[in-house]
Amino acid sequence: MNRFLAMDALRKWVPLLVLVGLCLFFTVVNPNFLSLRNFARIAISATPALMVAVGVTFVILMGSIDLSMEGTVAVCAVLFALALNALGGSIAGWGWVAIPGALLVGAALGAVNGMVHVMLRIPSFMASLSLGFVGIGLSLLITGGNRILIDDPLFRSLLTVRVWGFPLMAYAALGCLLVAWFIQDHTTMGRNFYAVGGAEDLARASGLDVGRLRIIGFVLAGVFYALGAIFAVARLGIAETETGRNFMFMSITSVVVGGTALRGGAGGVWNTLVGVLIVNVIGNGMVVIGLADYFQDGVLGLLVIAAVYLSTNRQSLSFVK
Amino acid sequence: MSGDLTLTERMRRHFPWITLVSVLLVVGMKDINFLAPENLVNLASDFVPLLIMAVGMTFVIYIGGIDLSSQSIANMATVLATISLPALGVGAGLLVIVAGLVAGAVSGVVTTRLKVPSFISTLAVGGIALSVGQYASGQQALHMDMAQRLHAFGWLVGQTAGIPHALVLALLIVAAAWFIQVRMVPGRTFKAIGAAEPAVIASGIRAERYRVLAFALSGMFAALAGLVFSVRLSGGSPTLAEGFLLPAIVAVLVGGTPLTGGVGGVLNTLIGTMIVAVVRASMIYFSIPATGQQIFFGVVLIIAIATTIDRSKMRIVK
Repeated sequence: MNRFLAMDALRKWVPLLVLVGLCLFFTVVNPNFLSLRNFARIAISATPALMVAVGVTFVILMGSIDLSMEGTVAVCAVLFALALNALGGSIAGWGWVAIPGALLVGAALGAVNGMVHVMLRIPSFMASLSLGFVGIGLSLLITGGNRILIDDPLFRSLLTVRVWGFPLMAYAALGCLLVAWFIQDHTTMGRNFYAVGGAEDLARASGLDVGRLRIIGFVLAGVFYALGAIFAVARLGIAETETGRNFMFMSITSVVVGGTALRGGAGGVWNTLVGVLIVNVIGNGMVVIGLADYFQDGVLGLLVIAAVYLSTNRQSLSFVK
Repeated sequence: MSGDLTLTERMRRHFPWITLVSVLLVVGMKDINFLAPENLVNLASDFVPLLIMAVGMTFVIYIGGIDLSSQSIANMATVLATISLPALGVGAGLLVIVAGLVAGAVSGVVTTRLKVPSFISTLAVGGIALSVGQYASGQQALHMDMAQRLHAFGWLVGQTAGIPHALVLALLIVAAAWFIQVRMVPGRTFKAIGAAEPAVIASGIRAERYRVLAFALSGMFAALAGLVFSVRLSGGSPTLAEGFLLPAIVAVLVGGTPLTGGVGGVLNTLIGTMIVAVVRASMIYFSIPATGQQIFFGVVLIIAIATTIDRSKMRIVK
């Protein structure tokens, strides 16, 4: 029994060990990897991804899945940029309203997603996939395929101003992560996510309104996608439909690689932080050691299969669709 | 199943073709030229790659899974076909088919043996296929040599008596898939797996093998779709088949194969693809912008799933 407990405790630390191992590996191959400048680069690429991945973490904790992030991020980014430019073009003036506005848009899209999933009783992967397509179409319709430029120096300071070598957006994202951690560990809602993911029948039998909780989970995810969209716009200074590209595969890989189980009930936002760092360290490290970046999709694919494989208790499953 | 099916249950089976006829009538009323035979034949031949992909995906949805890798496999196929054409000639087709078969089989093995849900495993395999396509193409759009293309695949681009050869090929492929589904052991087993997998396992059938086969077939058909598309456009690129995934899934579901599997099939997908084709073409007549299509089909997909899904198979909807 003790051995099993020890194995379990060890398994919890595997993602972190993998992260450290990867860093060591890339440093040995190319010492330039281990530098403040490079770490800042990883932080910049990881910041929007972290927000999106944290959002989907809540949904995966409940045992559902959300594949709509590409559409939601695109719509939020585009609307945020349009609102910011329309309200004077600077968050020093009335432009700041665009930030809560974008969060509201994210929440609304998440609510639609959750309601379609819960009320029409459609599996979440298909409901969210469809709505993701709708979101991409919506952002294309809004922009007409054009790019929206943001040149507010105050807003771009999220990227340009650096404290101890890291840009402001990295700290802002850490702040959001702490909020997510608080929601997850210290609110009834957060604990209920685990209850539903762990054993939905029991949660239901205990009188929990599972449908409502699921919708709330999707709303929360939508808000974090909007945060990811804002950081993505801050990083590039551009908002377009392409802003949402690649977030789906990347964020789900991050969550799963970080050790959050796809069946729900285990893991959390800290796991997701580690997962996002693993994915981004691999992406960055492959470039540093001279591999083309288009191998990344393939490597992520192998990674996600391995992570789900290692985290699944196959004895308890008869078959999987 | 009890003998007294409700009226809605019985109507549901006829829904796809009724939809098709009504859509055709609506568009025909707007512009009667739309219903001219040569227009319809042209329209149909434009949708040959989509039809082939959707037919393949039918097998996976038929057993209650999903294949999100089809588009990436088709992308990879266009690149592989273009690259290998000079060296292999018609053999390029064979290479592409085998590549698709292997990619699909990998999804199948990962889903059944490693117990990874199919939407994740196919997403992952799609990522791998995308990487292969990008690597093989050097991230560029490639072009086929005209003479070589005509020599190897000329039979695919011409037409006889006004009927494009690609359309004939597509119908042959549908017929083959239909034969697999209705007259062969794997097809019957697919139906059983979709209807009640525990019963199949309890009957001593090795359901895993058949499920791997379904995914492999889907990958193969996706690659075939990529091949036809690549020959038509005389080139390949790792993003050539972008935008195929949504209409392919829509075609299967609108045709009447529910997400939970077990009913529907290849012929339903044929009708579903025709519905998608007519709706797409009609958007030009009703001057709906191209960007609106994705929104429209996304919504249609939700409606199609919600109305066809068999909720008795899902105690908990996750």
